[in-house]
Amino acid sequence: MKPIQLADPISALLTKSMDLRSINQQVLAANIANAETPNYAPARFHFAEALQQAMTKSGVAMQTTDEQHITGGPGSIADVSGRIVREPATNPLGDNNGVSVDEEMVALSENQLMYETAAQLLKKRMTMLKYAISGGQ
Amino acid sequence: MDIFTTFAISSSAMKAQKIRLDTVSSNLANAETTATPEGGPYKKKSVYFQSKPMDFREHLDSALQSSAQGVEVTQILEDQDPPRQVYNPAHPDAGEDGYVAMPNVDVLKEMVDMMSATRSYQANVTTIQAAKRMAQKALEIGR
Repeated sequence: MKPIQLADPISALLTKSMDLRSINQQVLAANIANAETPNYAPARFHFAEALQQAMTKSGVAMQTTDEQHITGGPGSIADVSGRIVREPATNPLGDNNGVSVDEEMVALSENQLMYETAAQLLKKRMTMLKYAISGGQ
Repeated sequence: MDIFTTFAISSSAMKAQKIRLDTVSSNLANAETTATPEGGPYKKKSVYFQSKPMDFREHLDSALQSSAQGVEVTQILEDQDPPRQVYNPAHPDAGEDGYVAMPNVDVLKEMVDMMSATRSYQANVTTIQAAKRMAQKALEIGR
């Protein structure tokens, strides 16, 4: 038996995107905090491609003959976790710190904006759902 | 959303930059101090930063644990540069040859350090503000 879907795929995507962006916010905050720590390699949180892949479901999924079989290949949106990559300083001058504060601040603003967009869209969907439940009252 | 981790990371950096600013003001205030309780002229002090792993809830994976790091001041050390020798025989701390040992504080360097500490502090405040706004937006969903 398939589980009952409480949330539609778009809501699931928006929720996941907010989750990932809040993690990204922490990673960026850590980079900015360590802008003057010697030998600190800034971290990058990659998740957009994985999310995109889960969305479009590109690739070949494994064939299942039973409801309980695990489908291989592209995962569902809920399975996207992203990955963290360290970027050491390319220029050995100075204290070997790879953080560029202006780049981090731009990334931070973008991340915040995208998070707020997702939150706004989710709110709109909820409003529509309420409207439907109340029969257009 | 684990907003409090972001707060903890940024506030640790704010704290570290504040200590740095305190050290700068101590250096500037004592730029002309020739006598200290330890004897001799004042010696410039510098702070040393180190990244520090933050406490995390169990649901976060290990990759994130190692990447979300705050900052802490590990030590405040005295600069080992020799004192500046200034010829001033009238000075009470002048030596036999008429030279006074002045602190090894470079005022210009201290001012640059001060600007840098201020900017870093501001960047971290902005980070906290961003995280706060995000949390508020998330709370609005249920309204």
